[in-house]
Amino acid sequence: MFSRRRFLGTAALVGASAVQGRVQAASIPEAPHMDKVVMQPPLHPISGPDYRPVVTLNGWSLPFRMNGDWKEFHLVAEPVVREFAEGMKVNLWGYNGQSPGPTIEAVEGDKLRIFVTNRLPEYTSVHWHGMIIPSGMDGVGGLTQPHIQPGKTFVYEFEMKKSGTFMYHPHSDEMVQMAMGMMGMVVVHPRDPSFRPVDRDFVFVMSTYRVDPGTYLPHVNEMTDFNMWTWNARVFPGIDPLPVRLGDKVRVRIGNLSMTNHPIHLHGHSFAVTCTDGGWIPESAQYPETTTDVPVGAVRVFDVLADNPGDWAFHCHKSHHTMNAMGHDVRNLIGVSRKDLAKAVGKLAPDGMAMGSTGMAMGNMEMPTPDNTLPMMTGTGQFGPIEMGGMFTVMKIREDLARDDYRDPGPYKFPQGTVAYEVAAPAPEPARQKSGSPPMKHKM
Amino acid sequence: MTCHLARGLLVLTAFSVSGCAAFSPDSGMSAVSELTSRAINKDVAFVRTADGAGAVEARVHQLLARTLSVESAVQIALLNNKGLQAAYNELALAETDLVEQSLPPNPVFAVSRITGNGASEIERQVVGDILALATLPFRSEIAREHFRQAQLRAALATLRLAADVRRGYWRAVAGNEMVALLTDAKATAESTAQLAVKLGETGSLNKLDQAREQVFYAETTADLATARQMAASSRERLARLMGLWDGGLDFRLPNALPPLPRRPLTLPSIETDAVAHRIDLQIARLELVALAKALNLTEATRFVTLLDLAGIARRTQDPEGPSFRERGFDVQFQIPIFDGGEVRVRQAAETYNLAFNRLTERAVNVRSEARDAYRIYRSSYDIASHYQREIIPLRKIITEEMQLRFSSMQVDIFALLTEARQRLASLRGAIDARQRFFLAQADLQTAVNGGGGVPAASSENPTAIAAAAPAAGGGH
Repeated sequence: MFSRRRFLGTAALVGASAVQGRVQAASIPEAPHMDKVVMQPPLHPISGPDYRPVVTLNGWSLPFRMNGDWKEFHLVAEPVVREFAEGMKVNLWGYNGQSPGPTIEAVEGDKLRIFVTNRLPEYTSVHWHGMIIPSGMDGVGGLTQPHIQPGKTFVYEFEMKKSGTFMYHPHSDEMVQMAMGMMGMVVVHPRDPSFRPVDRDFVFVMSTYRVDPGTYLPHVNEMTDFNMWTWNARVFPGIDPLPVRLGDKVRVRIGNLSMTNHPIHLHGHSFAVTCTDGGWIPESAQYPETTTDVPVGAVRVFDVLADNPGDWAFHCHKSHHTMNAMGHDVRNLIGVSRKDLAKAVGKLAPDGMAMGSTGMAMGNMEMPTPDNTLPMMTGTGQFGPIEMGGMFTVMKIREDLARDDYRDPGPYKFPQGTVAYEVAAPAPEPARQKSGSPPMKHKM
Repeated sequence: MTCHLARGLLVLTAFSVSGCAAFSPDSGMSAVSELTSRAINKDVAFVRTADGAGAVEARVHQLLARTLSVESAVQIALLNNKGLQAAYNELALAETDLVEQSLPPNPVFAVSRITGNGASEIERQVVGDILALATLPFRSEIAREHFRQAQLRAALATLRLAADVRRGYWRAVAGNEMVALLTDAKATAESTAQLAVKLGETGSLNKLDQAREQVFYAETTADLATARQMAASSRERLARLMGLWDGGLDFRLPNALPPLPRRPLTLPSIETDAVAHRIDLQIARLELVALAKALNLTEATRFVTLLDLAGIARRTQDPEGPSFRERGFDVQFQIPIFDGGEVRVRQAAETYNLAFNRLTERAVNVRSEARDAYRIYRSSYDIASHYQREIIPLRKIITEEMQLRFSSMQVDIFALLTEARQRLASLRGAIDARQRFFLAQADLQTAVNGGGGVPAASSENPTAIAAAAPAAGGGH
């Protein structure tokens, strides 16, 4: 579908960014810029050793150039506007136009030279999470290097000693900069292409934000009470589906740079965690799972054989992490009739709807929200509202998908008789065990 | 001699009474009507006939048929207030004084007959108050000034009534608006209080929170009762001012105060206008003129306070002789030997000076009152328009945003209620501010035309804003 050449020619790459600083401009590769939030096709290498590239969920891989035996990348740390889902944009800090930054792909044994230009209003640095590199390249501001001041460009040089899945993020004013969305993934492919190969390889990083309804900037001082639970700074229904060809071996690489763990659950399959940010897990140590907990500051990679066609929910199993912004001080209205609620609410909020009297399900009602605020539960499937938000998407396993086709195949066509159905008359209530106590008399 | 004397008196009388006043057909009301219509552009009527009463009644009936505006309320009061009619009666009485004072003194005829011992004496006298006659032009002019003053007083009473009606009208209408607002608020509070009870039953709301949610209902109910009572009292006062009773009491008032004018009046010459137009000031000025004339009179009569000239014709009949007649005249002077008239001159001068100073003081006060009234008018406009253009629109935004947050499940239903309480406080503050503006506008009119009575700043706070209402406008 996407040839290497065509990919490079797409509008996805807009211009090169000028670099300020004392480094000779000619020696610095261009810094590609991304203005799209949908999943970009895999970036097949046009030079250097070959590998099967990953696909970044709602993201992209950073193009590189070979300079001698050095693979050169250019990251620009800068303020960005990231769309979390249609109807909500957030002012974040990121790299090369988006947050999270582009995925950096390399091959085991590659020598990487990564230029980092700081266009933030404060200093920064980049730490290469999980990678075995010289201490002076570890990117801890003040400890292993001076902070990169605004307007300056630093260069990191190291050799990729081992393959695996890693992350990058600042280690300068770290709490603020990560709360502002500065992060990205690093995938190092094995030099031996036959080492645990897969057909499709997805990657994303999880982060959380607190963006109050009607605002555009996250609270960077929030520690626990987040309301935006994102995969690659996207929330459902803004998260792209994972299109998979039936029978493909699929790898999903998940980084967690939020402040809590996320039990990630895939429906319809069992999988095995095959890799962490520490390295590959020996096959003998793997065991089957349907949910894997991704701890804070860690990477989990699972491999799954997509042998069960259909639309399979794929989400964090903390149920409030599959919700968008919600009020935490909302009283439980279950048990109060809708009429009573409407009466009380109608006078206070003529446009507001009385909900929650049976639960929180809103069905097909389109609720008006404050500016730049997503509905708490949203998304529609072929059978109705999905009522999800946050860390939720769908793995779509189809027989008729081409090998490198990553387009959304649309809703699953269920074979006749394979969908749960309503029966004409409910079965009579089963006889329950009678309690031994005599029948109670009604007191008037 | 008698004949000559009598003739002389008549001539003198005829000569001096050229300035004599007769009763005017309208008892001086046309001047009053002209004065007041210039100031407030309203009809006044002095009802003295059945026809007049019928016309007034018809007009009042017609005005009452529609919802009253402030102007129609004023018009009804001017036609229908019996106190005002009484003031006009006083004017009519003042005219009788004028007529009386401009007539020459009536001559006194005296006949005395003395008998005794068979003899009798008959004395006939024609006595005229020469002095009264001599001072007739003065006195008539003074009386004219007094009458003019009375006209001004009648005009002042008219303006005062108009001003009272305006104030009463705004209070009554604001009372209506407040009642409507609180009635709405009570309905809202009631349904949320019921919801709180239900939530208590489902187990979602503890006793503390239930009480918190219900206290708004309780407070609003109390506030509504207070507002109803105040609205009823204001309406009753307005009914009194309009002289309405029985059938007229079902007059209709608007439910809400009108919006503010687009921009406030700019009155750069308000001080001079006030000094020129204030009727109380005109009265004081006329008083001074009258006093000045009275002073001249005093000067003229300082030595002769009373001059009685009597023509005497006496006929004496003696039983022992033929009767005979005697003629002559008798003049009596009171000679001010002891004070030389000085005391009365001093009194007159001091009275004049006193009046002069009072007039000056009043003029100074009028200027200050005009400035003050204008400032109050402007600031109350600014405050009311601040409510209308800033606070209420902001409250509207807050309400809308809270509703969005509620419908997207960001906030609890009772957060809406909290917001509704604050909005209610703002709305009450806005009504209050608008009422203050219209009262200040009425006071501004009286500051220029007169009829004020109550200083503008003393208008009391008409509503007790609940403690939950921090932005309720506060004091003055």
